[in-house]
Amino acid sequence: MAFADISRRSFLAGAGSTVAASLAGMPLIHAGTAQGQVATGVLRRKIPGSDVSIPAIGLGSWITFNVGVDPVLLKNCTDVMAAFFAGGGEMIDSSPMYGSSQATIGHGLKTLGIHRDQVFATDKVWTSDENGGGDQIAETARRWGISKFDLLQVHNLRDWEDQLPVLQAKKAAGELGYVGVTTSHGRRHELLSVIMQREPLDFVQVTYNPLDREVENRILPIAQERGMAVIINRPFRGGHLTKALRGVPVPEFSSELGAQSWAQLILKYIVSHPAVTCAIPATTRVDHVRENLAAAMPGKGKKDAVLPTPDMRHAIAAAIGDAL
Amino acid sequence: MTDWWDYHLIDFLLFSTRVYYRLFVSFNLAFWPVNLVLYLAGAVLVYRGLRGGRLFQRGILVVLAVMWAWAGAVFMGHYYRPINWAVPYILPIFAFQAVIMVLFSLRKTPLVFCWRGDFSSMAGVALLILAIPVYPFFSVLAGHDVLAAELFGSAPDPTIIGTLGFVLLMRGTWRWLLLPAPVLWCILTSLTLWAMDQDIAWLPLVAAWLAILGGWMDAKSGVTRKPEATSPVHLNRAQRGAADPAGLVE
Repeated sequence: MAFADISRRSFLAGAGSTVAASLAGMPLIHAGTAQGQVATGVLRRKIPGSDVSIPAIGLGSWITFNVGVDPVLLKNCTDVMAAFFAGGGEMIDSSPMYGSSQATIGHGLKTLGIHRDQVFATDKVWTSDENGGGDQIAETARRWGISKFDLLQVHNLRDWEDQLPVLQAKKAAGELGYVGVTTSHGRRHELLSVIMQREPLDFVQVTYNPLDREVENRILPIAQERGMAVIINRPFRGGHLTKALRGVPVPEFSSELGAQSWAQLILKYIVSHPAVTCAIPATTRVDHVRENLAAAMPGKGKKDAVLPTPDMRHAIAAAIGDAL
Repeated sequence: MTDWWDYHLIDFLLFSTRVYYRLFVSFNLAFWPVNLVLYLAGAVLVYRGLRGGRLFQRGILVVLAVMWAWAGAVFMGHYYRPINWAVPYILPIFAFQAVIMVLFSLRKTPLVFCWRGDFSSMAGVALLILAIPVYPFFSVLAGHDVLAAELFGSAPDPTIIGTLGFVLLMRGTWRWLLLPAPVLWCILTSLTLWAMDQDIAWLPLVAAWLAILGGWMDAKSGVTRKPEATSPVHLNRAQRGAADPAGLVE
């Protein structure tokens, strides 16, 4: 669907309950829908310690949205965002480290006329300058074209001792919704677990998929115990996992889950972990963003999204292991 | 405290191969026919440089400086910078090279481009062939749009590989000051292409290695320190015939 085809009215119709939630007295900068309200078809997960929920499938921007000033690629990314919002998505995640991705998101939001309350704006602070966090956040907001973020995280724990207080202060001042930290590629879990035990974090972001499961041992249990929301990055290992599985038939039990592709099986595997709040696959393709969202939507004739049982989760991981 | 060594090379590559080659499509389309004119100027430089003539000896460096400035300011600064946060740290390399080439062109005793028939000359010509007629085909062979062709004179990689070719064909004192910037770029671009899993990732490294090896061999043999007057391109026709009985020069 071309973004030009999406009018504000049609978008609002698609994401109606989200807007309704914001109009119903949600905290100013929260895009999430109040618990109990009927949202779009995408499975929603509550942010621990709040009444806010967000769709279990978000949109990452690592590599995919770093397209510079190329008008063709900017339009392509805007199309992806249009499909994402039209399908009920809310959380978009970026970082100052991701080149022009923030500006691409800002371009898409402006072009599509997306209202601030319709997006759960998630970004990061990534600097080793102990006094540089504030300026970087201001620049990030300028690129997005917004004044406040729903969630800001310390990227890859970089200078976390200096940057976390900056974020906490912003949250205390009402300039920020939630505070978090991130890692990726399974790095620095020891330090992450220490920070999670010590700091009052709202979110953590880590890598998790059927092949990269180290977080199951310690990080995810701590998140559950401490009441932290968990964002999952690299669900497809940056696309390498789905690429490696291309041409391999999905297992027979996929139909029970309403999964039509390995990508959907992987996403179902991820969001079915009780500690996981949402996964943020990145893509340059409109059909893929729809496919990703569909993984957390009710199948035909179903009321809710069908997620794998523990046995099925084990079977998914085993099937992928066998296929590779 | 998070440390830089916590990152892998691939973590610093934050754009896709598709986006990278689209940069050249946008660049070539936006600056048509400037990039083509610069490319053709490169071919003329090679021809005229090897034929000699003091004016062209100086002119080659000025034109190369313009190419470095163009590739640095326009391609790197406008197109590459938005997708690669490291570009602002790299731009001084381009500025340094452009300035130093202009300074060399203003010297009382200019650098001399000539065919000497030794390893450096052969390596220099090979690099020029690689940079000018061959390099534009790599992106097409990799399946990208024909407009993504990287042209000598405007795209950094062929411009810099070609510059190494010119430096290897030079003789004159202090010419090796022209090597560090291209060699540094060759290392950086090889790492980038390697992270993008491109088949040609090794080419810039080989170009840098050839330039360093050629320079070392010349320094060892002292060939580039010989008096300028013995260079065939600066002899008159009669003297040149004696110095080059086989007529290999010109």
